[in-house]
Amino acid sequence: MVNRTRQFLAASAVAAVAYAYAPVASSQEVKSASKWGDMNTVTQDLLNRAAGDGNNFLHTNGNYQQTRYYPNRQINTGNVQKLRPAWIFQTEVRESLETSPIVLNGVMYVTTSFNHVYALDARTGDELWHYKHKLGPITIYCCGPNNRGVAVYGDMVYMATLDSKLVALDAKTGKVNWESQIADPELGYSETMAPTAVDGKILIGTNGGEYGIRGFVKAFDAKTGKLIWTFNTVPENSVGVWATHDATGRDMKRNIEAEKAQLAKTGDPFKTLGGGVWQNPAVDLDTRRIYFVVGNPSPDLDGSLRPGDNLYTDSLVSVNLDTGQYVCHLQYIAHDVWDLDAVSPPVITTVAGKDGKPIKGVLHAGKTGHVYVHDANDCSLIRFSEAMVPQENMWVLPTKEGARMLPGANGGVEWSPIATDPGKGLAYAINLHQPMTYHVESSPYPAGKLWLGGAFKVIPSEEQWGNVTAVDYNTGKIRWQVKTPQPMIGGILATAGGLVFTGEANGQFKAYDSDTGSVLWKFQAGAGVNAPPSSYTVDGRQYVVVGAGGNTQIDYKRGNSIIAFTLAD
Amino acid sequence: MTRLAYLFAAAFGLAMALAAPATAQVNIDDKLPLCSACHGENGVPTEKNIPVIWGQHQGYIYFMLRDFKLGQRQNDAMTEIAKDLSRDEMMALAEYFSKKPWPNLNQPRASAEDTKRAESAIVSGQCGACHGEQGMGDSVQPRIAGQQRDYLLLTLTEFRSRKRTNNPWMSDILGTLAPEDMDALANYMAGR
Repeated sequence: MVNRTRQFLAASAVAAVAYAYAPVASSQEVKSASKWGDMNTVTQDLLNRAAGDGNNFLHTNGNYQQTRYYPNRQINTGNVQKLRPAWIFQTEVRESLETSPIVLNGVMYVTTSFNHVYALDARTGDELWHYKHKLGPITIYCCGPNNRGVAVYGDMVYMATLDSKLVALDAKTGKVNWESQIADPELGYSETMAPTAVDGKILIGTNGGEYGIRGFVKAFDAKTGKLIWTFNTVPENSVGVWATHDATGRDMKRNIEAEKAQLAKTGDPFKTLGGGVWQNPAVDLDTRRIYFVVGNPSPDLDGSLRPGDNLYTDSLVSVNLDTGQYVCHLQYIAHDVWDLDAVSPPVITTVAGKDGKPIKGVLHAGKTGHVYVHDANDCSLIRFSEAMVPQENMWVLPTKEGARMLPGANGGVEWSPIATDPGKGLAYAINLHQPMTYHVESSPYPAGKLWLGGAFKVIPSEEQWGNVTAVDYNTGKIRWQVKTPQPMIGGILATAGGLVFTGEANGQFKAYDSDTGSVLWKFQAGAGVNAPPSSYTVDGRQYVVVGAGGNTQIDYKRGNSIIAFTLAD
Repeated sequence: MTRLAYLFAAAFGLAMALAAPATAQVNIDDKLPLCSACHGENGVPTEKNIPVIWGQHQGYIYFMLRDFKLGQRQNDAMTEIAKDLSRDEMMALAEYFSKKPWPNLNQPRASAEDTKRAESAIVSGQCGACHGEQGMGDSVQPRIAGQQRDYLLLTLTEFRSRKRTNNPWMSDILGTLAPEDMDALANYMAGR
């Protein structure tokens, strides 16, 4: 206990240090600047207007609302069959690729596993510069050495790293401007998510829910890298209300008396309770709120060591953008022992309220397989969709021998962002169906080692598959669903051209009719297409771009390609 | 530039050149012969059940030395060696061996039967999520591809039986696999 306290004090001290970066050997390669002249400074106004920007792709999920709806219709249902590769850029890292390409004024920024950043000419794929982060000796991360992209703001490009640093690069050269330590990597903190830039702040969460961290969202000063605020996703009183049912009303079979006895014996487990934040927050500048989802409690499968609801794990949470103060939350699964947590980034959009009238809502696609629809005002749940994947035996408790339950621990919907078409009232999600058994084994906090409290085991004899699903979020009904040969992980993009784009483990990258789910176009990329697509327009020509590098988490064929498509002349 | 200024600059430059990273400031020369006595002067261990550490990842070697020191991993010889090591010494030793080339042990490829069994177990246990697609590991996750076959089998068996206790997850996941999978996995990874 003493050692652990010391470790946390050390972590706090490290996290508080922001320092000017003294250049060290980082194997940077810097070439000429953009052929398009000086790049635009990314103003707050530009970021605010991203939802209607038919040229750039400025946010990881398209805009602050995270709709992943691209407003250009040049590529549409009538001509998508003429879509062809415009260029292919191969990175030097052949490993899991989860980047969301960001495009500003003809310049594209992509990242790779192990924290490389490339600036590319978005018209030709020519490399402009390449930054390779020098990782420290200790990096502890779950699910692959991934990175999901950069944020752009002012004249800088921001990336968070596996060794839990936030790095600000000069957008023209890729040279390091500043670097800040976010948390102590030796305790299991790491970063794979893209940062969010807003109003002079860089927002970042943390991985580590599989290692007994205490999760957070932090805001850093965009110019200096100094810490502005921290919101701990696990409060010092994490007990909650002893909820016996999940957000959909199903009994979770908790032994509340045993939990209360454990609480009296060992106290609140908040210091090692996990609660990572894997994906970007949605930002509401009108109310100065952000909305994000918090991941699983630690250890994942063993609830005996962590009595209580384990707030705010497995929850949608809203905090004040300027102060980090708590606003509201809704917990999907209290005291989760299945790792069916909340990871896919939330979306702000107009939804039908409980009385049918339009209100500002928040959507989240859960690992449970439901799309949850919330009232943005108080986070309360308005409705949840039909399950997009088979659910069986919920909520059977994990056992030593293994208990079969569907969905498997990857979901449902994993970290993959959803897309929405606000005009159609549809949310598009990609799903996994992976039958698993859930095993529990109690073990004490192992200080930086994987701490699952058991195991999830894929049942090799059972068929796995995926879905692309369109959900009417105003009714909760599934509008259409298309089955895919492998479980789906990566992301999806909707466009004003009546299309949705998403890729598969077998290398297929496809365009679907967003009204019907008909496959209108496909391309074999040669490696797993397990990254979210983006779209942009240069010189009046629309492109769709996606990474094809496979996936570590569910072991899909690796590659190293960024592929941009445009219509044949 | 005046001569004085030049001399000052030259001296300062020399001092800067000599200032190596923190871990390199630790002198580990006296400890290396002890390591080589078992792990091999050329990186090939002297016994089949002793692991290759040449070319192993720095983070992993550091973690193991730390675990031996803290008593979280049990081995009489290693516990004795690690008990007085400082964090900087452990990190320096880990860095030193991580920069050595991985030796070729010329171990045979696994049989078709073992390969089939091992690949099924790898999918089921999701081994690649930590050890990587090719078993090469990274940072605190060990490289297992090309490791000594007998050491791999010993490790798998001891994790599975919970005799080895410094990574409960390994015990948990291996406990879900069949005992026959251990041999197949050791043969498969050793021969990669």
